[in-house]
This record gives sequence, structure tokens and C-alpha cells, in this order.
Amino acid sequence: MTQRTAVLNTQTHTTPLPMPQRNPQRPAWIRALDSNLTYQIGTFALFALAWQLYGTYWGGLLVPTFTETVIAFVELLGTGEFWEAMFISNQALFIGFALSIIIGVPVGVLLGRFRTMERYSDVYLNILLVTPMAAIIPLLIMSVGFGLLSRVILVTIFAIVMVIVNVRAGVRQVDPTLIQMARSFGASEREIWFRVLIPGALPSIMTGLRLGLGRAVTGMVIVELLMVSLALGGLILEFRGMFNGPGLYATIVAILIEALLLISLAHWLERKAAPWAPNNQKGRGSR
Amino acid sequence: MTALITRARPKSGLSKRLLNGRASASLISLAVAGVLWEIVGQAAKVPFFPPLTAVLVELWSMITRGEIFGNLATSLANLVLGFGLSLIVGIVVGTAMGRYRRVNAALGIYVYALLTAPSLVFAPIFFSILGAGQGSIVAVIFMYSAFIMIINTASAVENVNPSLVEMGRSYGANEWQILTRIILPAAAPMIFAGVRLGMGRAVTGMINGEMFIAVVGLGRMVTVAGKSFDGAAVLAILIVIITVALAAIALVQFVDRRITSWVPNTTKES
Amino acid sequence: MIEITGLGKTFTGQDGSAVRALDNVNLSVQDNEFLTVLGPSGCGKTTMLKMIAGLMPWDEGEISIAGNPVRGPGPDRSMVFQNFALLPWSTVLENVAFGLRLRGVSKSEREDRARELISMVGLTGFETKRPGELSGGMQQRVGLARALAVEPKVLLMDEPFGAVDEQTRRLLQEELLSIWERTKVTVVFITHSMEEAVLLGDRVVLMSARPGQISEIVPVPLERPRSSDVGGLERSKEYVEITAYLWERLREMHDEHRAKNPAALNGAGR
Repeated sequence: MTQRTAVLNTQTHTTPLPMPQRNPQRPAWIRALDSNLTYQIGTFALFALAWQLYGTYWGGLLVPTFTETVIAFVELLGTGEFWEAMFISNQALFIGFALSIIIGVPVGVLLGRFRTMERYSDVYLNILLVTPMAAIIPLLIMSVGFGLLSRVILVTIFAIVMVIVNVRAGVRQVDPTLIQMARSFGASEREIWFRVLIPGALPSIMTGLRLGLGRAVTGMVIVELLMVSLALGGLILEFRGMFNGPGLYATIVAILIEALLLISLAHWLERKAAPWAPNNQKGRGSR
Repeated sequence: MTALITRARPKSGLSKRLLNGRASASLISLAVAGVLWEIVGQAAKVPFFPPLTAVLVELWSMITRGEIFGNLATSLANLVLGFGLSLIVGIVVGTAMGRYRRVNAALGIYVYALLTAPSLVFAPIFFSILGAGQGSIVAVIFMYSAFIMIINTASAVENVNPSLVEMGRSYGANEWQILTRIILPAAAPMIFAGVRLGMGRAVTGMINGEMFIAVVGLGRMVTVAGKSFDGAAVLAILIVIITVALAAIALVQFVDRRITSWVPNTTKES
Repeated sequence: MIEITGLGKTFTGQDGSAVRALDNVNLSVQDNEFLTVLGPSGCGKTTMLKMIAGLMPWDEGEISIAGNPVRGPGPDRSMVFQNFALLPWSTVLENVAFGLRLRGVSKSEREDRARELISMVGLTGFETKRPGELSGGMQQRVGLARALAVEPKVLLMDEPFGAVDEQTRRLLQEELLSIWERTKVTVVFITHSMEEAVLLGDRVVLMSARPGQISEIVPVPLERPRSSDVGGLERSKEYVEITAYLWERLREMHDEHRAKNPAALNGAGR
């Protein structure tokens, strides 16, 4: 009988059925080995190995091995130069991101609530969404120079579109019967805003902030790499100039880690702030 | 994710689109902004904000001098290579992730991490491996556009109505038939939503890659114009870039509409 | 025709909790019989049907069709799905021909056959429409035609009329009866409606939940053919008595379940 089940299983295991398909007879250690974590670690190990081999046998002047990069990363964390670069980069990042929230959220709410404004602004948001913003960096430098201000402005421009678009969508999708319900209980316009519209749009607002943060980090990296070579981006270019492969890769790893940590934090906040949203429910992490 | 998969499509027929308000509002809006741009530009007299007419004159002279087309062709070649590569990888890997739990477990978090990470930081890595050439630019375009298509395809495949798959199996379909006759067609509308986003990101990757590895293309033109403080030239190229981006996305939408014409109209409105 | 002996299945949840979905189910269905299966949600009736279809593995027991043990989906059975499971990108004709296509029947042959079935379910003239353009009732006619096109010995129907409105449901019931009277295919029909179970079935299998078991098999002594006067049938003494009896039994099951499990307020829970 177990034989038959096995035959059927081979035909079934790939099909997502509504019910759990796990065979209860399998020993616990096999099930543990089949867990997601095992595969995740496996992928990473394979990647590190491939990198190590490539770096050892084929890598040129600028391609370090995996282990060299790890060592360089640890060393990098011990240098004052790195933390200074971190500080300068993050200064622009946080001021710019804060500005994009302060401006973007109210603008998004207004565009979501008032149809005419939205109609006339739509074309610009669409253009901004598809335009490679990096191309305006030269204009920014011509107008405000190489200082903090131009970096802040660029980060803001990068992040604000995502914030506005998501907040607008969030306000627009609030169920109109909820507004009618609130009216029927005698709610004033102000109360409708604060008790229905903004809480209703909160999940989308938080999503907008998370995506905006991602874009803000992108803006930070781009401006430093493409135009104003200083801070973290400057460090990368400096290591490249010195043909210091491990240092170059370690700085990139540091930027990646910071970006992922920030975005994970935003993701966590998103779930905390609006646990009722379908995307934030347990097990169905919004991707 | 939800924000990524909504499909907004204009109604068919140009005349209808012009009539339906949104398009005309956009045109009015663009015209007003154009006039304002001209006035402010004329009044301000600063190099970084030249009036619209100056930009258009510059654009025209760039075209007649033949600067645009050569660089545009190089950029488009990069775009086609990079986007084509990530389209293939996106659909193959995405389908595998959406259909097979183990593939999803092995790749899921990395694909998501690479999607959220700032893609341009990989440019120095490609530079170190592939050198300052087209290979690096194509690789940057790939990094920009592949992961959004993988994620969207995976989620599209995962969300295919399970009873369609069950129906196929009940008629004796094998795995390949289920993939090609049921899953991929059923997932096509959502896959295309990802392809559209991927195309947008590919154009961005093309420009950023060309600006970083400034040897060819429109991106290099921007860098050169910026270094010589020529505001009108920067804006003229920007207009070309925006046109390329919008045209590329329109192309994706055109193909989308041809392939997924069966999607009922009511669900097309987002 | 269909022999089920000692069928059992336990589902294990992600948290390790075990649910006994089916327990020691024994059932034998005659050639040309119309068997209806009735029970509260969670009693395993759909699970059992999917096992007969070969779509779901089981832990203990045997299922055989005409003496051949079931090892997967086969050409002797076809299934009609509750949510129709039509391919939205295919036309009515292509949908009906789907099973034949998977079996490698040539295009002209399968289209002829499909047209025949389309006319049988009264959809002539709709061959080139897509499912999105049809009402729910018409969609299920397509599903029925698709299932019959492959000339199965057994037709497995999973609450096929559960998703259509009352009027349409009535018409579809009459039509199904008249098709069955002509083709004499063996039918296993899952439903949660007592009225439907009695109107259609030669016997009603009553199932109870947790664990899913057959609690009783009730013969229906109503005369055949029934398709001509369903309304009159419903006023007959036998019909009223059987439905009353079934209701009493379902109610007992509900009370028993509540006595065992006070947390469940309504029905058998899911």
C-alpha cells in the first residue's frame, strides 16, 4: 500500500493542492533537511564556493576571493575612514528620505482625494516613474554645486515618487461605503480624514515608505558613484583607483548590508503599523 | 507586491482615449508646463534651466549633427541584449520558483534581496570582472531588470488557479503540458505586468550603466554634457531618454495586449 | 464499476496536528448508476472524489474502476469542477476539445466531436466565445461538454452547480438528467444540497465529518426518467419523505458534533 501512495505522490508533489501534502511517514531528520533554511544556506555556500574558485583561478587584478573580501570587510569596519564615509552618506540619505515623507505623504493624500488634481498630475508621475533620474544629476550640480544639498535633493527626488504614488493609491482604494458609513454617523470632514481615510490608507502609506526608502538608498549610491565621488561611493572609486579589489568588494558588501537592513526594518515597521492588511498577515509576507 | 501587479491599460482606440478625459488632461497639463518652462527659463537666464525652445534647438542640432542616432543605436543594442537576457532568465527562474517549493526556498530571499538592493553598486563589480566595455553595461541592465521579472513571474505562477492545474492533470496532462498549456498562459497577464516594470528598470539601468562606464551611448552623452556645464544638452538628451523609456514600455504593452487579449475588460481597470 | 474498500487518509498540518479526513470508507458504485454524495463541509466528500479521479494520494485502502486499481488520472474518468476550471484564453470549442487534444486526437476529429457535445449541451452558436463572455450556467455547460467529450466511463462531479444561481441550477439539473438518461454514464455527484441529492441520485451517500465516514446510504425510489417533470417530482410524497429524513440525519450529525465539540457553533466547521 505504501508503494501505491508513493506512485501517486510522484504525480502529485508538484501540484499546489489546498491541503498539506507532506507524507507523515518521512523521518523527522529528512523533513528538517528539507526545510527552507537548508536550501537557503545551500545556495549561499554554492555561491561562495563559486566565487572563491573564480577569484582564485580566473580573477584578475580587481577580483578578490570570497575569503579575502570577508577579511577586508572586517578590517574595513575597524577603520575611521569607513565610518566617516558612512556618516556622510547617511546624512544625505536620512535628510532626503525625511523630506520625501514630509512632502510626499500630504501630496499623495491630496492627489488621492481630489480627482482633478490627480488627472493633471498623472502624466508627470508616470514620466518620473520611468525616467532614469541619474540623468538630472548634472543639472543639480550646475545649480547647487557638489555639496550636501545636491545629494539631499537627489535622494528626495528618488524617493518621493514612490511615496506619492503609493499614498495616492492607498487613499483612492479606501472603500467609499466606509466614508458613507462615517457620514451616516454624523462624522465631520476632519473626522473622516483622521478616522477613515488615513487609517484606511495606512498599509499603502507604509508600503510607499518602504519602497521610497529603497529608492532613497539607490539615489544615495548613484549620486556618489556617478557624480560626487565622496563618502561610500567615493571609497569604492578610490579602492578601484588603487587596484584594491578586496577593499572595493568589501565596501560594496557594506552598502548592500546597510540597504538590506534598512529595508528589513521598514518591512518590519510596515507589518507592525498595519497588522490587519492582507499583505501583512502572518505567513503571507508581502514581497 | 500588490502595487507591482495591478494592471492599468488605456481603452482601445485612439479616439476613445482622447475623449476619455485623462488623456486630454495630460495633454493640457503638458502644454501648460511647457509654456511655464519657457517663461521661467527665459526669465531666469541660468545655465542649468534653459528655456524649452533652447533645449529643442539643441536637440535638433544634435540630431542633424548625427550625434544622437549613433549613440541611440548603441544604447538600444545594450538595452536589447540586457533586457533580452533578463527576460529569459526572469521567466525561466520565475516559473521554477513559482512552481517548485525547493527552488523557491533556495533562491527566494536572494532574489528579493537583489531586487531591493541598489543595483548600481554592482557596476564596479562588473567593471572589475568584465572591464570597461559593453559587457559591463549589459550586466548592469540585467541586474536592474531581471529580479522584478523573476519575482512577478514567480508570484504569477504561484497564483494560477489550482483547479485549472488539477483539471489538466485529470485529463492526463504531463508536467510539460501543464506548464505550457495551462500555467504560463494563465500567468501571462501578471507576468507581463512584471515585464513592463522590468523594461522601465532596464532603461534606467542602461542610462546609469552608461553613465558609470562612460564609454558609449546616451548615458555617456549626459556625462559629457554635464561635465561641460551644458544644461540645454543635458535636457535635450533627457528628452530622448524619456522618449526611449516610454516607447519601450509602449512596446511591451502592445505585445501584452496581443498576447493576453482574452483578459476580460472589467479586470483590466486597476 | 467503482469499488472503494477501506479508504483512509490523514492530513498533517504544518504544526504537526493530524486531521482524519477519511476513515474506512467502503463504497461500491454500479454501472450506469447516478450516485450522489451528501454531507456537511469538511466531511471529506471532495477529498474522496479527487482520490477516485486519481488527483490525490491516500494512506490506506483500495480504489478500483472496472477491476483496475486507480494509480492516477486516467481516460476512463473525467471530472466536472465546482468553479468550472475553464481556460479563460481558449474559446468554447477549444475548451471542450481540451481533453481530446491532450490525448493526441487530430484537430479536425476533435473539433467535430467538440461541436457534437456543444450542441448536446445547447451551446451551438457560442463556439468562438471565450469563457469570460458566458454566464456561470453556460460556463458549466462547457465544463460538462468537455468532460463528456473524452467519452468517460465515469463522470465525477464536484458540486458542479454550487456556483450558479437557483434558476440556472434547476435548468442544469434537468439537462444533466436528460444527458445521463441518453448516455448512461456512471456518475458520482458531490453536493451539499439535500434536494439536489434526492432529485438526481439513484442512491444518496450520506457522509459525516471528523473523521470523514459514510454514515448511511439511502436509496431513492423515485421513478425514472425524471428529467421531464422535476417540478412534479418535488411535490411527490416520496421526495418529501426522503428529504425530510435526510434533514433529520444531518441535524443529528450536527448536534452530535456540537456535543463533542462545543466550540463549533455552525455546521461541522472547517
